Amino acid sequence: MKFRLALIPAFVVALSATAFSAHADQLADVKARGTLVCGTLTTTEPLGFQDPKTRQIVGFDVDMCEAIAGKLGVKLEHRGLSIEQRIPELAAGRVDLVSAALGYTKERAEQVDFTAAHYQVPMRVLVRKADKIDSFAALAGKRVSAVKTSTPEIYARQVLTKSEVLTYQDGPAAFLAFMQDKVDGFVTSHTAGLRYLAETKGEGVYINDALAWEPSALGVKKGEPAMLAAVNKALEELEASGDIDKLWVKWYGPDTRFAFAREKKLTPIATFAK
Amino acid sequence: MTGRGRIACRSVQSPMADLLLARPGYFALLLHGLGITAKLFAVSWVAAIIVASVLTAIRATSSKIAQGVIALFVEYHRNVPGLVQLFVWYFGVPQLLPRDWQRWINRNDGEFLMAAIALTLYAAAYMSEDLRSGLRSVSSGQSQAAKSLGLTYTQTMRFILLPQALRNALPALVNQTLALFKATSLAMMIGVAELMHAVRQMENETYRTFEAFIVASICYLAISYLLIYLGSVASKRVAMSKR
Repeated sequence: MKFRLALIPAFVVALSATAFSAHADQLADVKARGTLVCGTLTTTEPLGFQDPKTRQIVGFDVDMCEAIAGKLGVKLEHRGLSIEQRIPELAAGRVDLVSAALGYTKERAEQVDFTAAHYQVPMRVLVRKADKIDSFAALAGKRVSAVKTSTPEIYARQVLTKSEVLTYQDGPAAFLAFMQDKVDGFVTSHTAGLRYLAETKGEGVYINDALAWEPSALGVKKGEPAMLAAVNKALEELEASGDIDKLWVKWYGPDTRFAFAREKKLTPIATFAK
Repeated sequence: MTGRGRIACRSVQSPMADLLLARPGYFALLLHGLGITAKLFAVSWVAAIIVASVLTAIRATSSKIAQGVIALFVEYHRNVPGLVQLFVWYFGVPQLLPRDWQRWINRNDGEFLMAAIALTLYAAAYMSEDLRSGLRSVSSGQSQAAKSLGLTYTQTMRFILLPQALRNALPALVNQTLALFKATSLAMMIGVAELMHAVRQMENETYRTFEAFIVASICYLAISYLLIYLGSVASKRVAMSKR
């Protein structure tokens, strides 16, 4: 029994050690292999989601993978990832690049290298018109919902310190809690929240203020400077040629139900590391 | 303990788990989560044992209707995923209540309340099955003897049959206890700030996925082992009283 007990921590250590195994220069690996393994989410429209017709995972993040692979002169090997998988898969070297709605925060940057931020989205709070809540201060003592393990959760806890932040498994659950009056506000990124705003049938409204402008970037494994530089260079070229804007318009443009302009252009990530 | 085990234990404590929990506020966050988990587990477990005993006693009567209703109750809770049951209680049931009641629930930690109700019924369904098989393993001479002594049905259940059924069902009940303990993590899905909720928050803020989940695993393992130990102590005690 004692021996068996002792094995458990040993197993846990062995399991975690796989995440930190050493690697040669990743960029050289990618070039030699001729493929870039790029991971995206699979259930987040319009970043990475399944096209109901073709059953393929498509979206803005997927197109970004494709564009970067093109700039590196290799083929794209797409990999679908869950939110929890993103960083471990990158750390273990099973994906070379993560293009999966990665919101930059200083703390997260200790675990993964962020490229330049290719878009920024404001964080909003959806409230009921009837409640006449018109500022973040008016949410003091009230309850707000957010999606568990999302950046809206982080910003809500940082900014709405006088409100109780309740987190739910996914967007629909957090929104349902709002619709059932269990909470007074629903914290979401502007773009992700638009479908819910439409769902309130005119009863809901965004508070006219942003909790924060969240920079989103691609993620590269820590300690791969060549890879990071190559992806950043690719992003700069794609920005200069207008390709990022083109892809943005394809998924977020005026013809889509998001109709959200890409106001902020490619920004070096150091800008946000205050 | 073997030498290999000692080394392994030390490397778990440093540097991985320590660094994450050494961040300001994180240890308190973990303790708070552990506290909520313990509270949720304790409340649901006690309530589940009571509900399961009542269900078992009713099912042992000769009423076909009562037996049918309880069989239905058990089938629902065994065949529908726990998460769905939780959502039904949290998002579904309150909608059927008057507006004032809904507001009262929302203002009084409705997340915890609904999670406790859902977990209680979920565990009670399984436990009542274990108690029922425990009851069936008590020889029929026991209830006949009780009847001949003039005990009523309730007295027979309370003093003669259920205690023996409980003893026979103990190993299975320890299993259900562990299952219930682990199922408390489902409450995270409806915003109860229990252990898993706290760990996921740490993971989200720092992206230290492995360390966060290792912290959670160690906590769950430690408490599960404690429960197994308590179970073995309890079964030794009832086994001795058998003499």
